[in-house]
Parts: sequence; C-alpha cells; structure tokens
Amino acid sequence: MSEARSAPPAESAFRSALLSVDPRLSKFQPLSRILAFDAFDSGTHGWTELLGNYDGRGDLDTVDDHMRDFRPPQLSSCTFFDIGTHGAMTGTYALKLATRPIPGHTATAIRRLTMSGRGLLQIEAYFTYKAEATLGGGPENDRFGDVVWDGNLHPSEAQFGAFTVATDLCGDGGLRYHTVARYLNTDLENRMARQWVYPTVPEPTPREHLEGKVKLGYAADFTAPDPEDWEPFGEPQELCYNEVPTKVNWHYLRWRIDTEARRNVELQVGDRVFDMRDVPVPPYADRYDSLENLLNFYFSVRTHSATRNFLFLDSVVISVDW
Amino acid sequence: MRQSQTAVLERNTTLTGEFATEPYEAAWAGEARWFVQVLDRSTEDAELTLTTQVSPDGLTWCDHDGGVHRTEGELTTWAVREFGQWLRVRGEVTPAGAQVKVRLYLAVKS
Repeated sequence: MSEARSAPPAESAFRSALLSVDPRLSKFQPLSRILAFDAFDSGTHGWTELLGNYDGRGDLDTVDDHMRDFRPPQLSSCTFFDIGTHGAMTGTYALKLATRPIPGHTATAIRRLTMSGRGLLQIEAYFTYKAEATLGGGPENDRFGDVVWDGNLHPSEAQFGAFTVATDLCGDGGLRYHTVARYLNTDLENRMARQWVYPTVPEPTPREHLEGKVKLGYAADFTAPDPEDWEPFGEPQELCYNEVPTKVNWHYLRWRIDTEARRNVELQVGDRVFDMRDVPVPPYADRYDSLENLLNFYFSVRTHSATRNFLFLDSVVISVDW
Repeated sequence: MRQSQTAVLERNTTLTGEFATEPYEAAWAGEARWFVQVLDRSTEDAELTLTTQVSPDGLTWCDHDGGVHRTEGELTTWAVREFGQWLRVRGEVTPAGAQVKVRLYLAVKS
C-alpha cells in the first residue's frame, strides 16, 4: 500500500499556509493534487443522476428496473415548511438527492472522471441527511420504528434509511472494483442502527443482467441487493440529525482509498476516524471493456420507509497524490 | 454565463388516471420549461392533460396560473416564470383506464 507522497518540508509548509488562509479550502484536507472543488452554490459541477445502460436504439425500457429511477439531483436552498430557507453551509444552495416515498427507493448523484495515475485518492464532503417532514395525521405520527416523540428524539430520524459514498474504478486490463462505505441509520425494519457497513460482493451490473446472471426489481438495493451481503465496520456512530426534519447541521466526511493497491485506507466522519485497511474490496471476476482508468464517485440515499429521504451535499473536494 | 439544468422527472413512465410528479427545487432559476414527450398511447383517444403546480415547502401544492396543457403529437412544451421555489406537474389521463407513456423533462435556467 502506498503512503502519501510528500513534498519537501518548505514546500509542504507553504502549501499548508496557503490552504489554511483560503476560506473555501481551509475546511478540507486535500491531497497534493485537487481534481475537483465542487461548491454547489455555483452549480452541480458534474454530479448527475446515475442511470443503468440501454440498448443501441436508445430504448430506455431496456434499462434495468432497479437502475432506471435514481432521480435527478437538485440545487436546494434547504427550504422547510417551518422556518423557510435554511441555506447551505457555503452560500444558499446545496446539492440535494431525494428519493421517492417508496420503501427501498434510492436516489443517486455520480461524478465521472478518469485516473491519470495510481496511488491515493480522497473524497471530502460536507453533508447532512434528512427525512421529509410529515404534516398532519394523528397520534400515530408521533412514533416510528423504535423512536417515540419525547420532545428531543423525533420519529423523523427513524424514517431515514441509509446514505452511501462509493467508487466505481477500473483499469489495468479491465479489472473493475468498487469501494463502498454506507451509513446504515436504520435497518430494514426501521430500527436505529447508526452503523457503518460495507458490501462483501461487487455491485450487480447491466451486463450481468443481459447475461442472465441477475434480475433485480424496482427499488432493489443496487449496490448489493442482499442484506446478508453487508458487514459492519467500526463501532456504531451517532451523527447530529438534530431532532426534527427541518434543522440542518453540516457534517465533515473524508474518505481515502488506494488505487494502486485497490484497497480502502480510512474514513473520517465528524470526529471519528475508521481504519478501513482491512475492509475487503471484492473485484469483478470478469474483465470490463470501455472503462480504462474509470474513476467515478457516487453518493446515494435509500429510504427504508414510505417517506422521502434526502442527502444534502454542501461541497465536495476530490484529490489525489499522483 | 447563465446557469441551466435539465432534469428528467419521469422516464418512460406509463401514466394512468390522476398523478403528480416528484417535487423539484429550482429556486435559483428565473425561468422553467416543461417538455412532455409522448412515447405511446394505449388507445387513439387516450388523452393526457397537465397543470404546473407550485409550493412554498414541497409539501403543500396549488396550481400555477398557467392553465391546463393538453398533449398533442410527440412533444408538448410550455414555459413557467415566477414560480418561487418548487415545481411539479399534476395531470390526468382520460378516459378511465387509458394509459400514456411519457418522458417528462424540466429545463430551468437562471
């Protein structure tokens, strides 16, 4: 596994000083080369909806059922029914991924790059996550899953399923693999889990469907459809949902992987750092064409309830040491 | 340079009866345009009508003052301005039981 390639001390100190006085970058810890600095107050910066593959006639009916409705990302001012516009961490707008109110439904945003080297690769983000507010109903809406409204805990928190950050990487003769980190806020029975998990199998692909190896239904978990194929890493982590569905607290995320060793390195979320070096990265058994040096990142959000789930991204920085 | 964004809010979706699209935030945009592409109709007389709706919070909706739009031919379009924060369309397929398959685009611009 490669170590971060370091600059001479004087150069490193100068760079550190420049970063520390830049109000846009000082809240990040980028590797030596910044590939992308995406502050969503100025647009979507190439983060777009993921869609499954389609045939040579452009017939979108040929897109896999579980990959045809990942919803377009929105530029959101984080506006809510109770207080109006909350705004983002940087300026007014954040990138918002929003599911449909269908249990199991997933929304995605993907960014597509290629690798010009091998080594350390890092994504950083300021994010928050929310379930859509519920208006009306009776006392039954004061509880959900294992949460009962007590003036502090709010049933909305149990209506949020999971969010994921992941890669799609390929190179060296079509060897393709994903690194994946998912925050499982609740399990599929809407009980609080607050656990980071990873899949033990590679993501099912459209080619595998065409070859008759896999056929998944709408709202299946596209990253790894069998709940048995997910394993925990690290101890449970409580994040700052902040009680109700209309308060937004921005969280820091930094995730480093090694594309030379095709391994995870570490994940930082808030004040916790998870050593991920022993978290396995299962490659595809078959080689893939047309993907040489593929470097994709995606974020996704999946609801485990009949409530829309939102993942908000204020800003993202992607950096490398090559 | 102006900002712009096109979102595909429904993709090869078969509509029947009454429906509404998912909420979409576009407060940053000054103008919007719907494109409704009809891919298939279950019968020749299957008719799809659509109305723009707006909302202050993405939860409660009312009609925008642009009237009802009846789809004709392959592509139907209309513009929307001064819509505030949120946009969606509600619509109806008639007669009862008829189906219309669509792609539905929202193009917004600062």
